[in-house]
Amino acid sequence: MAKYLLLIAALLCAGVANADNSKANAPVVVDSDGFKEPLSKLKFNPGLDQREFERSTLNALAVYDPLEEWNRRVYHFNYRFDQWVFLPVVDGYRYITPSFLRTGVSNFFNNIGDVPNLVNSLLQFKGKRSLETTARLLLNTTIGIAGLWDPATAMGLPRQNEDFGQTLGFYGVPGGAYFVLPILGPSNIRDTSGLAVDFTIDTAINFLNVAEVSSNHPEVWILRGIDKRNQTNFRYGQLNSPFEYEKVRFVYTEARKLQVAE
Amino acid sequence: MLRSLRFAALFGGLILSASALAVDVDAASYGYPLTNPFEATIATTPPNLRPELPLDADIDQEDRSLTVRPERAFELPENFWAVKKLTYRIATQDKAAPLIFLIAGTGARFDSTLNEYLKKLYYKAGYHVVQLSSPTSFDFISAASRFATPGVTKEDAEDLYRVMQAVRAQNPKLPVTDYYLTGYSLGALDAAFVAHLDETRRSFNFKKVLLLNPPVNLYTSINNLDKLVQTEVKGINSSTTFYELVLNKLTRYFQEKGYIDLNDALLYDFMQSKEQLTNEQMAMAIGTSFRFSAADIAFTSDLINRRGLITPPKFPITEGTSLTPFLKRALQCDFDCYITEQVIPMWRARTDGGSLLQLIDQVSLYALKDYLHNSPKIAVMHNADDVILGPGDLGFLRKTFGNRLTVYPYGGHCGNLNYRVNSDAMLEFFRG
Repeated sequence: MAKYLLLIAALLCAGVANADNSKANAPVVVDSDGFKEPLSKLKFNPGLDQREFERSTLNALAVYDPLEEWNRRVYHFNYRFDQWVFLPVVDGYRYITPSFLRTGVSNFFNNIGDVPNLVNSLLQFKGKRSLETTARLLLNTTIGIAGLWDPATAMGLPRQNEDFGQTLGFYGVPGGAYFVLPILGPSNIRDTSGLAVDFTIDTAINFLNVAEVSSNHPEVWILRGIDKRNQTNFRYGQLNSPFEYEKVRFVYTEARKLQVAE
Repeated sequence: MLRSLRFAALFGGLILSASALAVDVDAASYGYPLTNPFEATIATTPPNLRPELPLDADIDQEDRSLTVRPERAFELPENFWAVKKLTYRIATQDKAAPLIFLIAGTGARFDSTLNEYLKKLYYKAGYHVVQLSSPTSFDFISAASRFATPGVTKEDAEDLYRVMQAVRAQNPKLPVTDYYLTGYSLGALDAAFVAHLDETRRSFNFKKVLLLNPPVNLYTSINNLDKLVQTEVKGINSSTTFYELVLNKLTRYFQEKGYIDLNDALLYDFMQSKEQLTNEQMAMAIGTSFRFSAADIAFTSDLINRRGLITPPKFPITEGTSLTPFLKRALQCDFDCYITEQVIPMWRARTDGGSLLQLIDQVSLYALKDYLHNSPKIAVMHNADDVILGPGDLGFLRKTFGNRLTVYPYGGHCGNLNYRVNSDAMLEFFRG
C-alpha cells in the first residue's frame, strides 16, 4: 500500500515538475543550521555547460561602430573635460546658488524643452502625450510663472521627453553608426542629426524669446549646459570597468531603442 | 552530591551554550516583504520600508585621491589614466567624531550603491565616513594593489590597510575619536582580515567591526556565483538572447506604464509588475553582473602583470585602441577560471606551492576561526537565504561567533541591508 502511495506521490511530483519548468514552488529545504539553500530553488541545465552569458554578451557587443578610434579618443577627452572643467564648475554652481534657485533654473529650461517635446509628440501622432505636454506648457508657463515652477508634475503630468531622433526612429530610420559627440557624449548618426533639428525648432519657435536672447548672450547657453550637467547623474568612471566604453555604448543603444519603442 | 555536581555542570553548560547562541530573527516578526532570495538581492527593500537618509547636498563630502603605487603611472597603458591614482570618498562631521571605514563588495568601487547607502546611514548617526573600493575593483587593482591579483585575502587586507593609513595621513587635521570598520559581501571578508592585521600593526585599534553578509568559504561563494549563469531560462532560444529577453520585458513594462521614469523604486516596481522575472531569470541576471566583474578582474590583473593570457604583453594600447577583442576574451573567464589561471600560479610561486584546498583555507574565514571566536568586538549579520553561502557555512558562523551572529530569515544577498530593522541593528551595534 505504502509503495503505491509513494509511486503515486512520485508521479504527481513528476507531473508538477513537468508542468512548471522551475522549482520555484518546491518546498524550502532548511538545513539543521538554518540555511535555506536558495540555489536548490533553481533549475540548472544538466551539464552546467551552457554558454548563454557568453552568447548574449558577444551578441550585445556587435554595435555598428566604424568610427571607434575617434569615438574612444573623444570619450577620453569628455572624461577629462568632465573631471577637470565640467564637474568643478557644476560644484561651484551648487555652492553659490541656493537649491530653490537651481530647481527654478532647471524648471525654466525644462519648460522651454517641452516645446520640442510637443512638436515631436505631434510628429509621432502621440495624441495623449501631445495633450499632456500642451497642458504642461500652459500650466507651467502661466501658473508656474514662465516655467520657474513646475506645478504640472505635481498635478500628475510628468515630463515626457521626445526628441527628433526618436521621431526619426518612429518612422523607421535606424540609428546608424555609433558616434561620441564632444562634451555631449554618446549619440549616433540619427540622433546627432535629430539634435540639429531640435536646435532649429528651438530657434524657429523662439519660445519666451530665449533662443534670441541666447544668441546674443552665450552665457545663457553656458547656464543651460551647467544645468543639464547638474541634472544628469552619470559620472565617468562610475561603471568602474576597463570596458566602460563598451558598456556605455550598449546601454545608450538599447536605451534609445526603448525610448523609440515607448 | 556527585550527581548534583554533574547536574550543576550540565546546567552551567546549558546556560553557557545558550548565551553563545546566535540571534535568530523570527520570520513572522521580522516583516521583510520579499521572501524570494533572488528578488530581494535585485530589488532590495521597498522604498517605504527604508530608513530616512540625508540628501547628498546635506553631506560635507569630497572625493580625494592617493598615489599609492607611483610606478603604475609608467606601467599602465595610456587609456588607464583615470585609475593611476586611487580615489576614495570622505564625509566629515564638523566636530570630533568616530570614523568608520566602509569596504565595498566584489568588483565594486567606493561609490557603489550600497556604500553610498551605508555612508548616509552612518553619517546621519554622527560618524566621519571613509568609503573605499574593493580590492577586486578595477581602480583598486590598478592603483593600489601590490600584486594586482586580488583573491588572496591576506594580501588584499594588507593593501587595504596601507590605503587606510594613507587616508589618515592625507587628513591629519580631522578630529577622530575612535576607528570603526565595516564591509559588505567580499568587503566583509576583507574587513575581518583587516581587523586581524590591525591586532598586530595597531595603527587604528578598531573598536568595533561589523561584517555584513560575508562569504564564509570563498570558493563556495565564487562557485555559487559562477553557477548562476547556468540556470535553464525559459524564453531563450536561437533567436533571442538573455539580454534581449530582459530588454523586451522592460520595453513592455514601460509601454504599459506609459512613460519612462527612472528612480529608486523602478526595480521594485518592475519586479511587482506582470513582466517580473522568474527565479531562473533573476539568477541569470545576478550571475551576469558577477561575470562582468570577473571579466574586469581577469583582464586588469592579466594586463598589469603582463601574463599574456588575455592581452599580448607587448600589444600597444593607446586611448584610441579598441578593447573589445580583449573583452571578448575576458568574458569567457569566470571566477573559477581566474583563480585557476591567475591566482593559484602567482600564489604558488610566492609561497612555495600548496594545493587549492590550502588556498581556500587561507583566503576564507576559516583562516581566522580562533581570532574571530575570541574577539568580542567583531559581529556578523547574515541571511538564511543568502546565495553566496553553501551548506554548513551558517553552522560555521554559529560556532565561531556565537551570540555575535545575527541571522535574518530573508534578504538574499545584501537585499535587506537597507531595511529599517537591519539599519537600526547596524547602528545599534556600533553605538552599544
